[in-house]
This record gives sequence, structure tokens and C-alpha cells, in this order.
Amino acid sequence: MRLLRLLAVAVVVALLGLLVWDMAQADGSKVAKKVDQGQVVAAPKLVLPYHDRDGSFDLAAQRGKVVVVNFWASWCQGCKKEAGALNAAARYWRDKGVVFLGVDVNDFRSAASRFVDRHDVAYTIVRDGPGSTLGKWGVTGLPETFFVDRKGRVVPPHVLAAATREQLDEGIRRARRS
Amino acid sequence: MRLVAVAAAVALFAAAAPALASDRHPTQGELERELVCPTCHTTLDESDAPIARQMKAEIRRRIAQGATKSQIEQELVDEFGPSVLGVPRKHGFDLLAWALPLGGVGVAAAGLAFGAWRWSRARDVGDTVSHAPSAAPLDAELDRRVDEELARFDA
Repeated sequence: MRLLRLLAVAVVVALLGLLVWDMAQADGSKVAKKVDQGQVVAAPKLVLPYHDRDGSFDLAAQRGKVVVVNFWASWCQGCKKEAGALNAAARYWRDKGVVFLGVDVNDFRSAASRFVDRHDVAYTIVRDGPGSTLGKWGVTGLPETFFVDRKGRVVPPHVLAAATREQLDEGIRRARRS
Repeated sequence: MRLVAVAAAVALFAAAAPALASDRHPTQGELERELVCPTCHTTLDESDAPIARQMKAEIRRRIAQGATKSQIEQELVDEFGPSVLGVPRKHGFDLLAWALPLGGVGVAAAGLAFGAWRWSRARDVGDTVSHAPSAAPLDAELDRRVDEELARFDA
């Protein structure tokens, strides 16, 4: 009987642990909200496989550079609309210590490849088919763009729709000043 | 006993045959009912999201090419992760999703049975204890007095 009681306590403790873990995982969803309130927050961990080659991109390894993180998918209309501005900005900022990163989410790999070819995407694309990073960054729709400063912190602004060239330049300048 | 074994085997084959047929020749409808749209988290047949439409087209294309149900499911899991499966698979780590609830029911049933057994055992002991004084032998003096009273009563 004592063993049963111990087992019941262990099950309850395990369930509580699971709940705490789940809440800790969901904590990242505050990133977008905090940035929208004008706060600067540590960038969530982002390690994802490259779309077109072996290996993984690790955001933490980009310390010292400003990183523009753009969440997109080939089926998203806004993503098609902003593709030109992203490409032009990526080419302009390439030699100035700014890295552009496209995170392809909830998308077929083949469809993403067609998108990359059609829009002649000039920056790094990583793949997140299940969309596991969306919750951590607080992404609620596509496209969305974040700016990470040289210290690995997400700084305002956070672009919640198709980004324009002006928005991208302004975000990069603020990240460089941060 | 042999009859039960034969009946169980027949039932097993009866259940396995349609499943095997379904895997070899899946229909668009059954896959759309069993797979989940990764953006809206509803089954494909209830979703009109752009990615759901692409997934339906891919399923149609693969069925036309003769792909099996498990092949199509695996390809979609490779693209979008295991959450596209409406129900967890019955092997590997996903088996836990089936085993844990069944195991839980089993443990609960065993616990109930154990509790009932203990309760009935305690009641039996209680009954024995309550009957014990009447079953105990009378002492000699009391026995003699009871006999005298009974003899007087009979007279």
C-alpha cells in the first residue's frame, strides 16, 4: 500500500514537471509581444538545417553581426510581395556585417525551392517544416521579420506583414545602433 | 479453449485484411480525414488553408502514382513532422500514446481489484472477530448452571 502511495506521488510530481517544462517552452511566445512593446529581449535559440545544403545554421554563432530573421513560406502571398525588397536589402547590406536569414516554415521543400529560384533569393534559407520555431519567437502569421543586434538580442521594430525596403533599412540601422 | 483461439484468429484476420487493403490502396478521403494541416491544426478535409490545398494535391498525385498509405504518411511526416498525423503511429516512441492510456486503465483496474480484495478480507476478519465470543467454550461453572436451568425448565 505504501508503494502504491509512493507511485501516485511520483506520477503527480512527474505531471507537474511536465507542466512546468511546457510553460517554460511557451515562454518564448512573449518575444514578439515584448519587442512590439519596445523592449529588447534575448533572441530565442534557433538552430535549423539549411534548405539547400547539409549542415545547420545556428543563430548564436552570428554574435557580432546584425541578423535579419524573416519567417516565410512559398504559399504566403505577403512573402511573394516582400521578396524583392528582402533581396535588394540583403544585397545592399551583405558587405556591412548584416546577415539575412529566411526561415521557411510549414512548407514543402520542393515548393520552397521553386520560390527561391523564381525570386532569385540571395540570402541563407533554413527549413522548419513543422514550424517548431514559431511559438518560441511568437510568430502568429506569415511573413514576419525580426532584427537581432550584435549581442544576440531581438530589438524593435518587429514587422508583422510584408516588409518594405524602408522598414528593413530602418530595422537594420536600429539594430546596428543597439 | 481451442474454439476461443480459432475465433480470436478469425477476428484478427478479419480486422487485418481491410487495414492491409487500405494501406495498399488508400483513398483521398481517408488520408484527408487522418492527416492534419500544420498551420490550422484541423484535419485536411476540414481545412482550406493554402498549405492544406497543397497537401491534398500531393496526396492525389501520390495515390495516382500508386504509393501506399504508409509511404504517403511518411513523406508528409518528413516534410512537416509527426504532428501531421491525426493519430499517433503504433510503433516506436509514438506507441507510448497508445500504451499509456491502456496501461493506465490496467493499473486502475488492478488497483480497484486489489482494494476490493483487501476490503472483503478485512470484512471477513471483522465477521470472525464479532462471532468469536459466542464460539468460545463456556467455563465449567457457567456450563453447570446453564444445564441446571435447562433441566428445571424441562421439568
